[in-house]
Amino acid sequence: MKKLTILLFSIVFFTSCEKIMFEENKQASNPKENFDYLWDQCDTKYSYFDVKNIDWNAIKVKYSAKIYEGMSEDSLFSVLGGMLNELKDDHTNLISSFNISSYGVNYGGQDNFDWRIVKDNYLPRHYYNSGPFAHEFLKGQNNEIGYIRFAAFTGTVNETNLNFILERYKNTKGLILDLRENGGGAVTDVFQILSRFIDNETTVFYSRLKTGPDHNEFSEPEASIVKPFDGIRYTKKVAVLIDRSTFSAGSFTALSARAIPNLILMGDTTGGGLGLPNGGQLPNGWTYRFSTTQALTLDKKPDFEQGVPPDITVLFDWTNLTQDEVIERAVLELQ
Amino acid sequence: MTKLITHFLGAIMLLIFPFMGLAQVSDSISLPTSPKANRSAYIGISVGIGLSNFRDFATSPLIYHGAPKYMAGSFIRENSLRETEIRLSSIFGNFAVAVGDEASVSKSTFINIYYSRLFGLKKLNNEKWNFKAGGLYKLSGDLRQNASLGNNAIGIDFFSTIFASAKVSKDVSRKSAKNKKFLFIKYKVKPRKRNIAFRLNIGVINTTIRNGYSYSGQSGILNEQGLLDGYEPKMFSGFRMNTQFDYTIYMKNKNAIQLSYIWDAAKTGGDLDKFEVAHHTFKVTLLFNTNNK
Repeated sequence: MKKLTILLFSIVFFTSCEKIMFEENKQASNPKENFDYLWDQCDTKYSYFDVKNIDWNAIKVKYSAKIYEGMSEDSLFSVLGGMLNELKDDHTNLISSFNISSYGVNYGGQDNFDWRIVKDNYLPRHYYNSGPFAHEFLKGQNNEIGYIRFAAFTGTVNETNLNFILERYKNTKGLILDLRENGGGAVTDVFQILSRFIDNETTVFYSRLKTGPDHNEFSEPEASIVKPFDGIRYTKKVAVLIDRSTFSAGSFTALSARAIPNLILMGDTTGGGLGLPNGGQLPNGWTYRFSTTQALTLDKKPDFEQGVPPDITVLFDWTNLTQDEVIERAVLELQ
Repeated sequence: MTKLITHFLGAIMLLIFPFMGLAQVSDSISLPTSPKANRSAYIGISVGIGLSNFRDFATSPLIYHGAPKYMAGSFIRENSLRETEIRLSSIFGNFAVAVGDEASVSKSTFINIYYSRLFGLKKLNNEKWNFKAGGLYKLSGDLRQNASLGNNAIGIDFFSTIFASAKVSKDVSRKSAKNKKFLFIKYKVKPRKRNIAFRLNIGVINTTIRNGYSYSGQSGILNEQGLLDGYEPKMFSGFRMNTQFDYTIYMKNKNAIQLSYIWDAAKTGGDLDKFEVAHHTFKVTLLFNTNNK
């Protein structure tokens, strides 16, 4: 009994020690505390205030006025989500069990892709699906142009599917790599794909990371370098099709394409998303994310966060649903 | 399936058999004359459960709680003048936080490598009481996976700590057989060598290796894969403290069973994005004597 008493006393004593060592519990559903926490996290860690010319203090004034004691969770979510949307960045989201906030960069430009129009007019009914790629010789082009649809960076790109595709189209005049409405995903896929289109080691962009609370406090830019794949490659012209919904890893691919001479960007400006998003949690358990890095062009400018522009701008004509103007223009370029 | 269960039970019995029905010890403790003489050597196998909590301010202000499992293997050499222990232990399980309708789970594993040397304080020691002081080096690492934290889903931390240690133990052996009664049941208890001990370790030099300012590094977008990308070592930073309360029952064949309560708490230093962790562990250790001393 005496030993048990000592043990119980020890547990109580050291639990108390813990309370002295550690900071107080920050769990809170109070709207003001959650607002301040989120605003402060963004203020000290978000990476694109200056590039986007955002006055974050003014945003605080605007949105804190909408916070009041006793507001519903839905209302609080609207205010916090609205504040994050001021960052105009789809790598910025607020996530709760009942809603997810997002800005919607794709609405900054017109819709420029319809997969059904592509399938109906440019591909046979039974085209190939190799891993995450849908592909086939483009209809009516005498097997001279290969079309590859890559809808998402699933992280499943591998040597086998790329070898199969590039072997199949090795005798074409050019390839179309369609990244329209590709919202991104695993950035490892970007480098696997690009390594097939280069002959030499190539610096494709630079990146820098937030290292302190000031809006312009970053690490030194570091080069992102792609090495040519030691095997089947394709170094003839490749038209890379992009639009406002080409985002994140899609934008990284577009940014990299500007550094690779045989890749031609066509379509519309991408949606950006060139900052690597973090992840965090608020005192009320909701989670959030926002960008904490900046991708820079080869001359070390961060401007393409607003979207990577195409080399050739082509917009869809929605009065003619039998034709994809972007593909048509790509064919002209590749012939 | 039956065969598997049979094998499993067989293995358990093999482990427990050396500790069954052999509990008669009447020798009094003899004080060794030289530090390394007559040191008993044990291989220890421990299992346990605990209550733990942690908070990583870099990703959340919330405290994650769990009831993790504990496993350890150790090698101990000891007498009243010298004690050396090497231990490898792991605490693992799910940690969760729930606020209203929101719940998040972190699957976490904490691994510790432990090397300790204690020296008897001759002037204080007698047949009942034993005092030791010395040091302990502990290297701890944790891997935490929390899918709700997006790109910051993986958390890895390292603590390397040199502790100043003090241990006091008391011989509470039963010297003679006793008749006892529980309710209406009468029974006889045999003489048995037993010991209780309390150990306090206070970190004096603490080094941590943690994520940098932005938590996740950028190696992925630089086409490099670095496991500890952006991590930063911080020397002489943070604080760590732990204690251990042991109750050991020795068998006639020199093996022993030890029941322990361990409290271990650590936090990183600085003002930015601290990491705090505390474990309360209850463990049972089977100590296999390897040199019959």
